[in-house]
Amino acid sequence: METLFALLVGLLVAAGVFLLLSRTIVRVVLGLSFITYGGNLATLTVAGLREDAPPLLTLPGPYVDPLPQALILTAIVIGFATTALLLTVALRAYQVAGHDDVAAFGDNLARDTEAEDGMIADPEHQGPDQPDVEEPRTLVYTARGRE
Amino acid sequence: MTLAVLLPFLLAGLAAWLGPRLGRRTGYVAALAFVPALLLAVPLSGMPGTPPALEVTRWVPTLDLALAFRGDGFSLLFALLIGVIGALASLYSVAYLSERERFGRFYAYLLLFGGSMLGLVLSDNLVALFGFWEMTSVTSFLLIGLWHTRSAARDGAVKAFLVSVIGGLALLAAVALIGIAGGSTSLSGLDVDALRASPLFTPALLLTLLAAFTKSAQLPFHLWLPTAMEAPTPVSAFLHSATMVKAGVVLVAKFGLLFGSSALWSGIIVPVGLATLVWGSWLALRQTDLKALLAYSTVSQLGLLMSLYGLADAEGRFAATAHLLNHAAFKAALFFVVGIVDHETGTRELPMLGGLRRVLPLTFAAALLAALSMAGLPPLGGFISKELFYEGMLHHGPLFLAVAVLGSALTFAYSFRLLRVFWGPLRHPEDARPHEAPPGLTVPAGLLALTALVFGLLPGTAEALTRTAQGALNFAEYGGHLQLWHGVTPALLATLLTWGLGGLLVWQAGRVGDLQRRLTPRTNANTVYYALVDGTNIVASRLIARTQGLALPDQLRIMLVAAGLITGYGVWRAPQVFHAIGTPPLALLPTAALLVAGAVGVLLARSRLTAVVVTGLTGFGSAAAFLGLRAPDLALTQLLVEAVTVILFLLAFRFLPGSRDLPRTRWRYGLDVGLAASAGVGATLLVLASVRFLAPPISPYYLENSYRLGGGKNVVNVILVDFRGFDTLGEITVVGMVALAVLGLVRLGQRGRTPTSAEEEE
Repeated sequence: METLFALLVGLLVAAGVFLLLSRTIVRVVLGLSFITYGGNLATLTVAGLREDAPPLLTLPGPYVDPLPQALILTAIVIGFATTALLLTVALRAYQVAGHDDVAAFGDNLARDTEAEDGMIADPEHQGPDQPDVEEPRTLVYTARGRE
Repeated sequence: MTLAVLLPFLLAGLAAWLGPRLGRRTGYVAALAFVPALLLAVPLSGMPGTPPALEVTRWVPTLDLALAFRGDGFSLLFALLIGVIGALASLYSVAYLSERERFGRFYAYLLLFGGSMLGLVLSDNLVALFGFWEMTSVTSFLLIGLWHTRSAARDGAVKAFLVSVIGGLALLAAVALIGIAGGSTSLSGLDVDALRASPLFTPALLLTLLAAFTKSAQLPFHLWLPTAMEAPTPVSAFLHSATMVKAGVVLVAKFGLLFGSSALWSGIIVPVGLATLVWGSWLALRQTDLKALLAYSTVSQLGLLMSLYGLADAEGRFAATAHLLNHAAFKAALFFVVGIVDHETGTRELPMLGGLRRVLPLTFAAALLAALSMAGLPPLGGFISKELFYEGMLHHGPLFLAVAVLGSALTFAYSFRLLRVFWGPLRHPEDARPHEAPPGLTVPAGLLALTALVFGLLPGTAEALTRTAQGALNFAEYGGHLQLWHGVTPALLATLLTWGLGGLLVWQAGRVGDLQRRLTPRTNANTVYYALVDGTNIVASRLIARTQGLALPDQLRIMLVAAGLITGYGVWRAPQVFHAIGTPPLALLPTAALLVAGAVGVLLARSRLTAVVVTGLTGFGSAAAFLGLRAPDLALTQLLVEAVTVILFLLAFRFLPGSRDLPRTRWRYGLDVGLAASAGVGATLLVLASVRFLAPPISPYYLENSYRLGGGKNVVNVILVDFRGFDTLGEITVVGMVALAVLGLVRLGQRGRTPTSAEEEE
């Protein structure tokens, strides 16, 4: 039984990875979902699959291991949140970029290694720590007594 | 002592709160913080007779870290010095800063620094000493960068910080080595013989020296001190003349008792100190900015102190301690004077100023006393300690003395160059109307200048103060005295020679200037520093552009290959356990089929609708699998989540294009197939390898205690909400944050424009 599920996990992960590497943004999101499915099943399988009762104390024992189940329950919810967030980001990215080709997103800095310091995205703005306008000295020479 | 260190920290918070409310008057509160440090004069007056007091507050016993403050004579003397200069600088800044300064920030930083510095000199615990050492670096960074809107201030702050922190790391290593070799983290409790016999002795010595040289601006680390002059002048007087820069000197003085037995110690410190003395004063003579002149002069004086302490004999330590006091007095006074000149005329440029003694008589008096002390003229304190310096160098060889005389002659010359702003016809920028500064500025300067005078006229006072440190620094057996007239000694002859040379330099100032311009090398420490920093930036950005700047799929491929190699190695090393597939229960076969169909189907799906439906099928398949594997809760959650996910996808698909796969290049396609296949195989093998219990599972605990402790019969639920309640809380937080993010992104999207264009239209 474990071997069967191990094979299933492998299949799900393989499909997920292949999707993750595709250029279409939707497929990237779907790929992550598939990897999540594989991961959840893997966690359960690793703990051993036995034909015991579910961990509900109202039923007569012996019970299966409750701990991986608790872990997976958390993982399912987090996985859902991740998918939702990614999907929304994908949506925004598509709206901003006007296309859904992941490979063409971003600055692709590698194309511009010969820039002045290789990383100025906006030549007008030096960086977050550099004010755009050099303010005058804030040290004001007080001329108290002769104002 | 503990109070003296902690009160500035406590009052720093108060000052931050009071700053916006009290304005400049916060300075008086700041000065109060140094009162306990001033009160340390009481135990100091009992030195060197009484044994040092030790106050220990346990902090982290497992690390041997305690707030141990040991009041030996030298530490108390230095703490008193910090207290005096700190209080004066606080009072001075009240009158100095402009109304629009952010007082809360300034005084909070200043007090944090004061507390750190006091902790540094009093700490007997090596680990705490390192902590205070780093805190002085950080607070110095904040104070230099106080006017952070100016690029020069930012640059100076970063430079000072980088250089000091290199030394700080060295000190951490040194402290660790000393602690290991000496068998204690307490400076007074070290086993000195074991340390000297240890193989760690030399590395610890070298690292200590690196720390001291960076902090005290010795060659080639002197570059940060002049740029640190971007700080407000009271800060420069306090940190960059009298206290923080002397931290390295203090380190050399205290650790000299441990390392002084080694020839390496003196062999490095004395040449470096003397070189710094000469080069610093040579550079000081070139400056036109008064503060830069003082900064280089501080560099050179620190070199002098270093070389004296580095002699590692009683005479040198005696002379150095005497000069430490003198230097603090005259240098802080001069900084205050320069602050007054800057305040009244609006410039610090030497060529633009002259004849100021007519409008600033009191300031001129203070400047004269302090500058003459710096030049080493009688009857001022600087003269006496310079004599001692010559004595000490003479005992170690005429060459040392020659270098010392050269450095001192240059010192003589720049002291008089500094005074040029007071002589001659009155000259100042046209828009300034200089008049004598308010007492808030002149009194601190005057007090310190008078101290310099008293140290000279009544050498007994300076000697008494110096002698308090004799127990701590082991120069009790040295019988020398501080006095103006020692009779005709070689040192006196050297002094006369110094004055002659110095007078010559002053007399031929123009020619000397030309000579200096010709002789100045193109490369100096600063150009090297900038080359390093810029080079690092360029290398880093190119590296990032080549490695991190790829398109997302390529980035993922690199990550997956790396992950595959690492986990692949783990899987390969793990013994595999192949269970027979056996006879899986028939009920699970449809589930398995569903999962397989989903995985294959999604790869083949052409339209987005098919893709999402197939994904949904896989989700329901995994829910069914959970049900079959005796996990009803998981099945329920999975079903719910799957339904919502499908709805979410369908909503999103109103705005998203199809999920047709864009073509990949042939080798990328091959790579992807390979990666996906190896990921699948790897996952399978990983699962199989893990189906072994290396240790008994901890789950029975939950089964047994679920009802007894958690009061629930559904063990999974009890684990989630009772045993692991905080995990679940964190999880809920994550989901909440995601909900907010999704909401924000969606609302951005509803405008159907990029936010930038939206802003332009608004």
